[in-house]
Parts: sequence; structure tokens; C-alpha cells
Amino acid sequence: MHGRVKIKSTAQQEEEKRKEKEKKLKAFVSARDAVLKKRSAGEHDEEALQLTRQLLSSNPDFATLWNYRREVLLHLETLREKDEVQKLYESELHFIEACLKVNPKSYGCWHHRTWVNTRLPQPDWTRELGLCDRCLSLDERNFHCWDYRRVVVKASGVSVEQELQFTDRLIGSNFSNYSSWHYRSTLLPQLHPQPAPDSAPNTSPSPTTSPQFHSHRVCEEQLLKEYELSHNAFFTDPNDQSAWFYYRWLLGRAEREEMISCVYVSREGERVSVAFSKPVHAQSEGLMLVLDGQPQQVEWRSTHPRLRHSPVWLCDLPPGSISDMSNEHNLTIHWTEKHTHRDCALYTGCAESWCRDSATNLELFRSELSVEKSSVLQAELQSCNQLLELEPQNKWCLLTIILLMRALDPLGHEKETLAHFQTLKEVDPMRSTYYSDLCSKFLIENTILKMEYAEVRVFSLSNKNLTTLCHLDQLLFVTHINLSSNQLLRLPPHFAMLQCLEVLEADDNAIENLEGLYHLPKLEEVSLRNNQICKLSDLESLASCTKLTRLDLRGNPVHRTAHIESELSQLLPRVTALSL
Amino acid sequence: MYSRGALVDLLIKSNVSRYAEFKNIGRILTCRNGKVEQVPCSRADVFASKQLTVVEKRMLMKFLTFCLDFEQHPEEYQDYTEKPFREFLKNKKLTENLQDFILHSIAMVTQQTLMEEGLKATQHFLRCLGRYGNTPFLFPLYGLGEIPQCFCRMCAVFGGIYCLRHSVQCLVVDKASNKVKAVIDTRGQKISCSHFVVEDSYIRDEQRQSTAYRQISRAVLITDRSVLPSDSDQQISLVTIPPLESSAPAVRMVELCSSSMTCMPGTYLVHLTCSSSGTAQEDLAPVVSELFHVSTIPGEETSVEERSKPAVLWVMYFNMRDTSALDSSSYSLPSNVHVCTGPDGSLGSDCSIKLAESVFHHILPDEEFCPPAPNPEDIIYDGDGPQAEGPGFDESVNTEAEEEGAAHEKSPSTEPAEMDSVADTTPSSEE
Repeated sequence: MHGRVKIKSTAQQEEEKRKEKEKKLKAFVSARDAVLKKRSAGEHDEEALQLTRQLLSSNPDFATLWNYRREVLLHLETLREKDEVQKLYESELHFIEACLKVNPKSYGCWHHRTWVNTRLPQPDWTRELGLCDRCLSLDERNFHCWDYRRVVVKASGVSVEQELQFTDRLIGSNFSNYSSWHYRSTLLPQLHPQPAPDSAPNTSPSPTTSPQFHSHRVCEEQLLKEYELSHNAFFTDPNDQSAWFYYRWLLGRAEREEMISCVYVSREGERVSVAFSKPVHAQSEGLMLVLDGQPQQVEWRSTHPRLRHSPVWLCDLPPGSISDMSNEHNLTIHWTEKHTHRDCALYTGCAESWCRDSATNLELFRSELSVEKSSVLQAELQSCNQLLELEPQNKWCLLTIILLMRALDPLGHEKETLAHFQTLKEVDPMRSTYYSDLCSKFLIENTILKMEYAEVRVFSLSNKNLTTLCHLDQLLFVTHINLSSNQLLRLPPHFAMLQCLEVLEADDNAIENLEGLYHLPKLEEVSLRNNQICKLSDLESLASCTKLTRLDLRGNPVHRTAHIESELSQLLPRVTALSL
Repeated sequence: MYSRGALVDLLIKSNVSRYAEFKNIGRILTCRNGKVEQVPCSRADVFASKQLTVVEKRMLMKFLTFCLDFEQHPEEYQDYTEKPFREFLKNKKLTENLQDFILHSIAMVTQQTLMEEGLKATQHFLRCLGRYGNTPFLFPLYGLGEIPQCFCRMCAVFGGIYCLRHSVQCLVVDKASNKVKAVIDTRGQKISCSHFVVEDSYIRDEQRQSTAYRQISRAVLITDRSVLPSDSDQQISLVTIPPLESSAPAVRMVELCSSSMTCMPGTYLVHLTCSSSGTAQEDLAPVVSELFHVSTIPGEETSVEERSKPAVLWVMYFNMRDTSALDSSSYSLPSNVHVCTGPDGSLGSDCSIKLAESVFHHILPDEEFCPPAPNPEDIIYDGDGPQAEGPGFDESVNTEAEEEGAAHEKSPSTEPAEMDSVADTTPSSEE
């Protein structure tokens, strides 16, 4: 080679590229117009297949063309023999694969492929599985491929064990793959299910003795291996969230049994309040109220008009049913949809009565991670603490430790939990509100437990940095509540569930909304000093609390409103002691 | 070769890489307490390792992450700048296990190496990870001899001329300038030249200042199995065997599977290297018998333990001169004779490349060293006769293989044919 070497200039190269692009665009547009014309003319022929193939090869996301192609193929099916149809669809599969190379995440392609497999007289699932393997090796998180894989596995009956081994391989090569962990979580319970608690084969499936029951669970032996796997992952890289999420799933989230948690009866007002284990729509649950053996025709209503699904429902008994203090009554609420009921006895001389399972016994607040045995949870807590020593600022570790401690002993670990929340807010300030809310929830839970233990009806949680309220359905029988010196912004509609509330102290918050103070029949005294109540309209709901006589609104912007005193005395005529 | 470094950069930059194919080295192994184990170096390895406790895994990952850009955290190491790397590792609370892994198999330094060098070596290793595969190393198919071959091929494409099957017998030196002006080959042809590049082993003792050298001990084996069986029998492994005493050198071993195109299917080719204390056999035979089964008497009873080791089908021990520390002052040669030393004992080829570059710049100080070859599509040919400059001159890079020193010429009026009579040359013929 003795020639002189000259290289094309950049300008030359760019001009050539531009010309090529223009040519391509022109060809595309004319082909597209031709295709759409054919379709509106209803032509289902080979030419249609050719044109759509040309267009889809460079742009596989053009959904209309896939639709048209399906129309053509269906038509051609009617004209061909079975083995020709097989060939037709097999070549279609080849074509789809080529399109997938252009865009492996094309909705159109994957959908079309699924469709083709339903039309194929003899689908080749092994090849489809191989395609999934290849696509996933290129991109482990291609969710189209994962979904398609699930379809293939289901249709072809690939064994769960084989698929589990597949996840083993993927996780082994890269444990940051959330998709693989997730898939694993769907496979494990199928392969290693937890044996039913009552293993005697002759008894009919009886309700479990523990109030929590668990499906989708994995047997213990396998679980321990999975814990080890998770440990390896989060010790190797504690910042990778996939393993932490999988770990939390392993530790278990129990499903609470559906039941009536509390029935409260008050002679005054002849009212029955019922609390359910989850929000319901009373009118559709087949509730039946039986008083002294007689079913009663009652209207159920929610505590607040904005709560159409609510855990607490009220009804009024016919006047005179229970007003006489010298009578004893027996009340039963039947929840026919769930085949459960609860009784409540109202004794002579008692103005009220209630029946509830204690939150402690229900292990109510352990349902985050409560399924495992204490010994296992304890061992896991130890491992996590070991990691925390090495990585004191790791938020995943801190959060998991908090959840483990709550599962083991919410009251005993309270101090440590609060300290960890503090650290969490420092290391992860972007989510500090989330942590504050979560901490509030845990503090409320602890206070409920302490309240039960002390057997009182006073709920006191002042100066605890509360940012939100929850579990209000558990406070049905509380008479006094103190939420002063926190960071609450509102008393939400759920607050109306506190049907027995007599005294509310909520000074020194930032409350601007009092929606939840609605038709609280026993509420007498409210103190809301130093909050953010600004307008008269904010106080409207108080008018429905007919027993309210004392109201303290000092330190609220509302006192600047013109004529506020006279307005308020009009709105709340029964309030005798008003402080502004 | 390291996946990041002078050689890879050069191969890519000059487009010479298209003449060769490479395979990843699949795993890094070490030998501890008589057992061959895998060294976890990537995240996936650490995750899957059964040899480390979870706490060790965390400590290792933490340390490696720190090493990746250790310069950003001077407070972590400023107290140890003059201390050995080993001490630094101990101070970081790494267990003995981990210290061994890092020192011998990742940084690949000695007990005496100072901290900064150790950190840099670890960093280099980590930065090479993941570029092409799970380990930092690549191996060219058909062996390391392919690398110089590729460069030669590129050179030939642009006008370099190769004369095969004869070598240079003597130099013709101009007495006045003490520069070589021609060489005479073994067929008696005289080729005039302005520079002469030659590999060290062609230089006779008379031209050397001293004849005492460091040596490298080498062994080559053909075996029937891998030292560490695994799911795949087609893996290339790099093995570091730590020294038994701290003053002795570590032994490095490369085990090549047949798909590296260096040995027959069903066999493995194994190279062992260390810097010499005695003969190669003295230095390396103990390691060989620890890892392999060397049958001394045909048909003898072999213990179960022995049978589990791979059998040695053929072995050769030899010592090589390590001339890498030499420079032009070590020879008494004319100034336009450039000697390329042989390979050094280290794993990468940085030393050879530096040398090639410096020789190149001696000869052609204004030219770019190994510029990228143009894309064939963009070349326009003029079609007239032999012209002046080609796009660049390449050096033959002498790495592990020994190559014939090719004589390159600046002006391509290379008419090799004349047979000058010996009387024309000044009679100081030297080899």
C-alpha cells in the first residue's frame, strides 16, 4: 500500500450524515401514510405485513401498527392450514426479536409476543424462557421481561425450584437487583410453605388461636437460610435497599384477623358505638344488633360525614330501650360477613359499659414484624446491632432495628427507639417528616399500652414532638386526652371517634383545623391555647358538641377577628366560660 | 494485563486492539494453609464468599471503598506515610485473613512495601475491576506473544518491512561519529540505517558494563486439571502464593485453560514466576509439589490427598535475566543503538511501554507515539509510488516474548538488495 492517506474532514462527514437522515425520514413518512391508508381501507394482505414490518423495525413503539398487524394475521389465519399458521407465527416471533433488539423495553413488542404465543398451535416455551434469560442478562431490571417470564413460567409449567435457582444465579452475580429478590419472595412460599399450625389432618380448618394469622409464609428452616442470605447482602453493602426490603418481608407482616374490637354502650343517649379491626362500610357488612335476645332495627352512621369507611360506627337504640338504670341488658353485635360477633353486658346501676380486647393481648402493635418467634427476632436484632456498630449512620439499619425492637418489646425499648429516631433524622434529613410521623405513631401505641396497663381512661402524650395522630379508633373509651406542647396541625375527622371524650387539652401546638371535634356527645371542656385557629369558620364543628361549656382560645390569631366574642356566643351559646 | 493501564490505553488509542482478542481472567486465587481459595475482590465475590464472616465482609468492603479514592481522606492515613502497608492494615482493624488477601492478592506487594505504594496498588486493582469483567485482568488469546505481533502487524500495514529468518550479525560503526551507519545480516547483506533497536539478549558480554544481574525464576507446567475445580473448566486464574518467610518473594502463577488457545483441550498451561533466590527449581519446586501432584515413579500408589491435586504432565524450570533495571549507561555501545531490556517481574507492562516510548522519542522526537490509525472508510488513496511519510512508525514492543530486533528506517529508500563489498565499510565490526 503506497497510497497517500487522506481522511475525510469532519464537515464532509457531517453533511453526509445529514443527507442520510433526511432520506430516512422521507422514506418513513411515506411508508407510514401508505400503511394507515391501507388500514382504513380494510386491506389485510401481505403488503400490509411488509409495510408494517419496515416501519416497526426502526420504530417498534408504534402501537397502531402492531394492532393492524394483528388484524392482518388473524385474517390470514383463516386462509391457511395449521402447519402454515405455525410457520407464520414463528416468523412473527423472529421479527419481534429483531424489534426487541432495537428497544428491549417496548410495550408493543412484548405485548405482541404474548399474543402470538396464544395463537401459535405449538408454542415453544423453552425458547421463550431462553429469550427471557438473554434479555435479563442484558438488563436485570427489565420489568417487561420479568412479567413476560411469569407468563411463560405459568403457561409452560416450569418448576418453582428451577426458577428459584434462577434467582440464586442472578442474586449471586448482582445482589442489588430488587427484581430478583422480589421474584424470590413470590417463589419461596410456594416451594417451602409454612405448615399450618393445626397439623392434625382430621380437624376441619379451625381459626388459629393467635389473633394474628399468616398466609404467604415460609417454613422456618428455609427462612433461616434466607436471613443468612440477607445478612450477606446488607453487610457487604448496607446502602443497598433491595436486601433490606427483602429482609423486612422475611421478618413478616401479619394479617390481622377481622373482628369487632370494641363495643361501647351508653345509657345516656342510648347509643351503641362499635369499633372494627379495620375500616368498614357498615351498611354493607351485614351487621345485626341483638338486644336481650331481640334483633333491633337500627341505622348505622359514621362518626364524621367525611369518613365513609371508618373503623368506628354508631347507632341509636329505640328510645327507652336501655335508659332505666335498674335494668340489666345484654347486647350482641353480629358481623355476619365475617362470621364473628361480640357481646357486651350493661349492668344495673352502670351508666355505660364496654367490651374490648386489649391491644396488649392482641399484639396489635406488633403487626409490623410480628410473625416470627421472639428468639428469632432477638437473634436478628443482635445481627443488626452488630452492623450498627460498624455503620452507625446507616439509615436502613437504624430503621430495621427500630422495627425489630417494636416487635420484641415496644415499651421496654422506648428510650432506645427514640434515640435511634433522633439519629435517623440527622442522617436522613430529607425524610425527617416521615420519621417524625412514624415516631409519633409508635409513641401513641406505647401510650395506649401504658394506659391499658394502668387501667385508666386518660391518654396523655404531651411534649413528645407529635406530628400526627393515629390509632384514634383505639381511644373510643378515653375520657381525658392531653396533647399539649406538640407539633400537631389539625384534629382530623378521625378524632370524632373519641365518643367518650370529656376533656381535651391541646395547648401549644399549631392546630388550625378542628374538623374532628364533631358531635362528641360528652365533650365538656376544650383548651386550645397558643395554636393557629384563625377564622370563626374553623370553630364551626364545635357547635355540634352539645355539652361543651368551657373553651380556652387564648393565643390564637382568631382573637383579632372583629366582633369575635359576640360571634362566638352566637355560634356556641352553651359555652359559659370562654377565654380569648 | 491490567484492564486499565498504559498497555490497554495504547492498544485502544492506536487501534491495534483490533488485531487481537482477549479473554477475562475469571478469578483470583490464593493459597493458604495448603488450600487454594478464591480471593473475593468484587462486590459479588464478597457477597458470595463462604470464607468471610459478615463482619469481615463489611470491613473489607469499607476498606476497599476507602482505597478507591483514598486521596480524598488524608486524615485516615497521614500518620502512616512512612510505615509499612501491613501495619496500616492492622491499624484499620482488618483481621489476619483480610490483611493477607489485601497484601498478597489485591495490592500484590510485599511485607516491606510502604503504605502509600500499597494504597496506590490497591486502588489500581480496584479501578480495573469491572471494566471488562469481574477481575482486573485480561489475557490475549493465543498468548502474550500476540501483543507484539499486533503492533508489528499494524506497522506492516503502514509500510514497515520485516525480514524473517535472518538476524543481524554485525554493526558497521562510523569511527568519526561513533554511530552505527549500517548493519550486516547473517546472509551478508548490508542495510544502511540511522538507528538500531535491539533486545538485550543479543548484546555480547564485551559490550556490557557488568555481568551481574537479578534473575527471575520461571516454571512452565502442563497439567490435567485446575487447582481449584469449579462449575466451569474454562477459566483463567491468577494465583498468588504468599511466601513462607516474610523475606522471600511471593510466587505468582497463571493457570490457562484450553480456550485461551495456549494448550490442548483437556489440559491446562501453568506459568510460575518469582524473583530468584536460587535456581528456578529450588525456588519453585516446593510450590509445585504443594499444589500439584508430580509423579516420580510411573505407576506408583498415590494417596487420596495427592490424587485430588492436578497431575503434572510436563514441567520445565529455567532462570531468566531480569535486565529491566538497566539503561544505556550499562552498555558500551554507539549512541544510536537502543537496547530494549527484557520483561521485569511485575504484572503489568508499564515498564516496557515507558521504554518503548522513550526509545521512540530518541529517534523521532517530534512525532506522536502510536497515534490512532485512521478508520479504513475514511482513507483516500492517491495511488502514486512510494511516498515520503507513512502515518507513524511503530516500535516492536518487547514484552514477555523474545523478538528479533527489527531494523527500522527513517527514509524509505530502503533498497535492501545491494551487496556492498566489505572493503567499503570501516573495519570495526562488532556484534
